[in-house]
Amino acid sequence: MSAARTSPRSVAVPAPAEGTGWVGKSIPTKESVRFTTGHGSYLDDVKLEGTAHIALVHSPYAHARIRSIDVKEASAMPGVLAVYTGEDIRKLVDPFMQLAPPPADKVLDYPLAVEKVRFVGEPVAVVVARDRYLAADAAEMVQVDYDVLPPVMDAESAASPSAPILHEAIGTNRVWDGVYEYGDVDGAFAQADLVIQEKFHYHRFNSAPLELNAALASFDRRTGELTLYTNNVMPMFCMPLVASSLRLPSDRIRVIVPDVGGSFGNKINSFPYMVLVSVLSMQLGRPVKWTELRSEFLAAGTHGNERTFQIEAAVRKDGTLLGLRGEAFDDTGAYARYEPAGAVIWAQVAFSMYRHKNLRLHFHSVFTNKCPVGPNRGYSRAQHLFLYERIMDRIADRLGLDRGEVRERNFVRADEMPYQAPNGTVLDGGDYARALHRVQEMLDLPSLRAQQKALRARGRYLGVGIAAALDSAGNNFAQVRVINPHLPFSGNSESARVWMDMMGRVHVAMGPTNQGQGHETMASQIVAHELGLNPEDVHALPGFDSHSHPYTGHSGAYASRTAVMGGGALLGAARELRRRIQVIAAHLLKTAPEDILLEKGEARSRRTGNALPLSVIGGVALGNSLELPLDMDTNLSVTYVYRPPFRIPSHVDKKGNFTLTYSYQVHGAVVEVDPETGKVHLRRYVAVDDCGNMINPAIVEGQVIGAAVHGIEAALLCEAKYGADGQLLASSFTDYLCATSLDVPPVEVEHFITPSTAGPMGVRGVGEGGGTALPALAAAVEDALSPFGVTFQDSHLTPERIQSAMRGRAPTVPSPP
Amino acid sequence: MYPRPFEYRAVTTVDEALRVLHEVEDGKVLAGGQSLLPLMKLRLASPGVLVDISGIPDLSYIRPQGENAVEIGSLTTHDTVAHSALLQERCPILPAAARGIADQQIRNRGTIGGSSCHADPASDLPPTLLALDAEFSIVGPKGSRTVPAKEFFVDLFETQVQRDEILHHIQVPTLGPQWGWSYTKFNRREGDYPIVGVAILVRLDSHGRRLEEVRIGLAAVNPTPCRARAAERFLQGQEISPAILKEAAHRSTEGLHPGSDMHGSSQYRRDMVQVFVRRGLEEAVTRARLAGGNP
Ligand SMILES: Cc1cc2nc3c(=O)[nH]c(=O)nc-3n(C[C@H](O)[C@H](O)[C@H](O)COP(=O)(O)OP(=O)(O)OC[C@H]3O[C@@H](n4cnc5c(N)ncnc54)[C@H](O)[C@@H]3O)c2cc1C
Repeated sequence: MSAARTSPRSVAVPAPAEGTGWVGKSIPTKESVRFTTGHGSYLDDVKLEGTAHIALVHSPYAHARIRSIDVKEASAMPGVLAVYTGEDIRKLVDPFMQLAPPPADKVLDYPLAVEKVRFVGEPVAVVVARDRYLAADAAEMVQVDYDVLPPVMDAESAASPSAPILHEAIGTNRVWDGVYEYGDVDGAFAQADLVIQEKFHYHRFNSAPLELNAALASFDRRTGELTLYTNNVMPMFCMPLVASSLRLPSDRIRVIVPDVGGSFGNKINSFPYMVLVSVLSMQLGRPVKWTELRSEFLAAGTHGNERTFQIEAAVRKDGTLLGLRGEAFDDTGAYARYEPAGAVIWAQVAFSMYRHKNLRLHFHSVFTNKCPVGPNRGYSRAQHLFLYERIMDRIADRLGLDRGEVRERNFVRADEMPYQAPNGTVLDGGDYARALHRVQEMLDLPSLRAQQKALRARGRYLGVGIAAALDSAGNNFAQVRVINPHLPFSGNSESARVWMDMMGRVHVAMGPTNQGQGHETMASQIVAHELGLNPEDVHALPGFDSHSHPYTGHSGAYASRTAVMGGGALLGAARELRRRIQVIAAHLLKTAPEDILLEKGEARSRRTGNALPLSVIGGVALGNSLELPLDMDTNLSVTYVYRPPFRIPSHVDKKGNFTLTYSYQVHGAVVEVDPETGKVHLRRYVAVDDCGNMINPAIVEGQVIGAAVHGIEAALLCEAKYGADGQLLASSFTDYLCATSLDVPPVEVEHFITPSTAGPMGVRGVGEGGGTALPALAAAVEDALSPFGVTFQDSHLTPERIQSAMRGRAPTVPSPP
Repeated sequence: MYPRPFEYRAVTTVDEALRVLHEVEDGKVLAGGQSLLPLMKLRLASPGVLVDISGIPDLSYIRPQGENAVEIGSLTTHDTVAHSALLQERCPILPAAARGIADQQIRNRGTIGGSSCHADPASDLPPTLLALDAEFSIVGPKGSRTVPAKEFFVDLFETQVQRDEILHHIQVPTLGPQWGWSYTKFNRREGDYPIVGVAILVRLDSHGRRLEEVRIGLAAVNPTPCRARAAERFLQGQEISPAILKEAAHRSTEGLHPGSDMHGSSQYRRDMVQVFVRRGLEEAVTRARLAGGNP
């Protein structure tokens, strides 16, 4: 990270003025060509001579004490190089650092289970063998003797003092708990015309990336250097964890991320496996590779945070929300591998898009005997936004008001932007009500209502659901200090390097890893725009390599941050390189640097029209440098770190600017529900999105559609469901039902463009979509079945759940719209 | 994803297949591989020798057997069944059931013989073949024999086909114009195995008013595909009315012991059998009336 330049403060730069206008163009993503023609190079495509492969032995129990593990037979199998148990690994690595404050910081978490198993699928032993088949054969021969313990399967009961304890060392199942209180909550309830009480449950699911977790470690005994290939998408943030667990100085670890086939946050928690293959490689002196199985991913990868709300809403007769109070139970699973970050991340959207001022939420993060949770598209915010949208629907229904009208009454208004919410977060522009109106128009609400009425008379049930959500991006890491004031994290930053070679060709590399979002294209567009080039002529380095890519500790592709954070870094680096080129060109063209225009691969004097191709500038600066004065800077490699102007939130009042930008979206769903079977048929889906200025609108559209589809399948199909005995029921793709193109209608997308008041180039992050589809679909199903008077508290709507709610109910007279 | 070790033998004639199956101890027939290979990858099945019959040319055909029947070779793929003009004309319920199986890739490989021999109670073809009173021709070391559908499916994943035998072909009847049919597959996601599957055949009198004969095949509600005999008996000879169809739907769950899974409890499956038997009867009756000129 040489020559890092730090921007003094956030620059709310308007859409770039100069250049050939590549920013804002829907050019096809350049990397898609290799991805769609079979030329991507993913982790399993990395082949190293002499690689050994591993197979994991998993716990069949949710909660059990390990009495003994017999590896004798397995060790003697053909091709087996070694078998390690949790006890063996414990002697070789240090446990992972915990984010939680005491007592949960005392939890001992290792790559393999030690003493106890705490969820079905937890790895207890590992076989290393010459190939993957032999490893799997031997893994079956490992004999584990368990003492089965009662499992704890839901967060509320886990929090009770009588529950069995997962981690005896801390004597409680609580990871974290604390009260967030903003405004005068009791005052709000005293003024209420109506108090609504509800319980909502946001279910467990993840986003099923096509490529699963994988890692390949190669320890070089000659140099003492470990090369760790990983598809973790936040590798440099994980590096301190990995290095300290391995007891290796970080300068001995080189991290390489090849092409990544999707993550949606799910790959952030792969560090235990990164440590495992690394320590095995160090032990055996040969490369060791692990590629996850789908069943392993489903059982022991990452699930999104499952959350239960016990909530009360104080409401005025006109539908104004005055205050919310209640409890949230976050089921974090068996280990806190990214948690309890989720216990504060939600506060980025504490008040959602609404103006009310009073909120008290007692938040509990609790261990249960399930897969550890971690970031999943809309991490920790989608849960909270679901709560708000369902509350808005309840307010409307209870007061006999229109659901849209109630939202409108409570929305932050366009003329209040930028708007500071009571917890200090700042909404950076937009017109929420107008987006809602547009969705209503796109759906043609009046004619839908007429159709609904006509169909009801024939025993068919059509419903419309509209929901809104924020998509916060570019988080301020200091928010974790709300949960643990001693954590050494704050702010956010990203690094990019732009450089020109002797032939005048321009290269760019940055910290965020590409998981298919089009980073190479977006980076090329920004650099091309600033340097007067064609995006095809900018070479964006694929993947990530800690030896060639710049990075900061915050680097990675998570929390919708790359356009904002990476964009800021790219812009800074490209502009500084432009300035240096201008200085050199001005000297050669005998003019002033301000007179130099970069266009069509040339540096041209506006005044004289004389021009030099960039190849001459590169050639002179880097190879023929005596043509330039000795005191002229010939360094054509610029690394720039972008850093937004965050402050450290107060851990006492829990207030602060938690995130830089807030995209928003309003989604509308039209469903038909079969009242006899409970099956939901999605007829239409529309989305309006506003992420400010768009670097590449086609990429934005892909993100909006992708997020909508993930939400739709989560609402209707995907559930990481466990039985009461702790067995994972959705243990393969037979039962974990991802949507296919046959299950989702085309998503109709429109964009609003309200430039961000905070993000560089007026850009807001986009990519998670706030889980908007979940409340939209719940609302649509309720609307369809309103003649039956059924309501739903769960974010997941199975046919059976709907059918059993309907059992014994008859429709009332066709109700008025 | 990593099966246990196995040996692989590709055979090109029925005789060769039978010889190999006879010689080896733990041989298993491989047809389209769409059920067997997933089980092997999950290590739920681990045959020692895979005897791949997919290269036997004369087991893939659909041909008329006189006027009243169609013979289908056991290697005929779901896709071929789905698009067969002969079946469409003589026995359209079978292509309809085949069209809903899984996805195109799987339909291109999966075979009617494999689906029958695998005898997964949640499959689409077995209840349909059961409703059709199909006949299964099996060849083995002792020669060949023909088994009626009602005896073919023995238990969960178990049929009359013994370890050293292969299913050669299946014969289904030609359905005359007085017949109506419906196949309903109820699932959460397109192409998945059904939560319940209902195959219905009805034969009406010449006025289209009375049910002369009814056959109801059910998937995913018992350890084997089964017939709703109580409902069939109840309907036989009845004048068609909504109340009668509803009562029959009610009786169709008699003797069923559906299991529970995360997509449907036992109770839910029973409820769905009732819904889809009623709807399926209505659809089949409508078809029969149209075909018989009594709309
Ligand atoms: C993702 C997926 C989804 C599916 N969805 C459905 C669905 O919705 N509905 C549905 O009905 N099916 C479904 N299937 C199963 C599919 O229809 C299979 O093709 C079928 O069940 C087996 O046929 P096969 O030819 O592939 O048999 P194989 O897998 O090759 O064999 C299956 C079994 O039958 C035996 N066998 C095969 N042929 C013979 C023979 N001629 N003589 C004796 N024994 C034989 C084998 O030894 C084995 O035990 C699905 C499969 C997959 C992978």
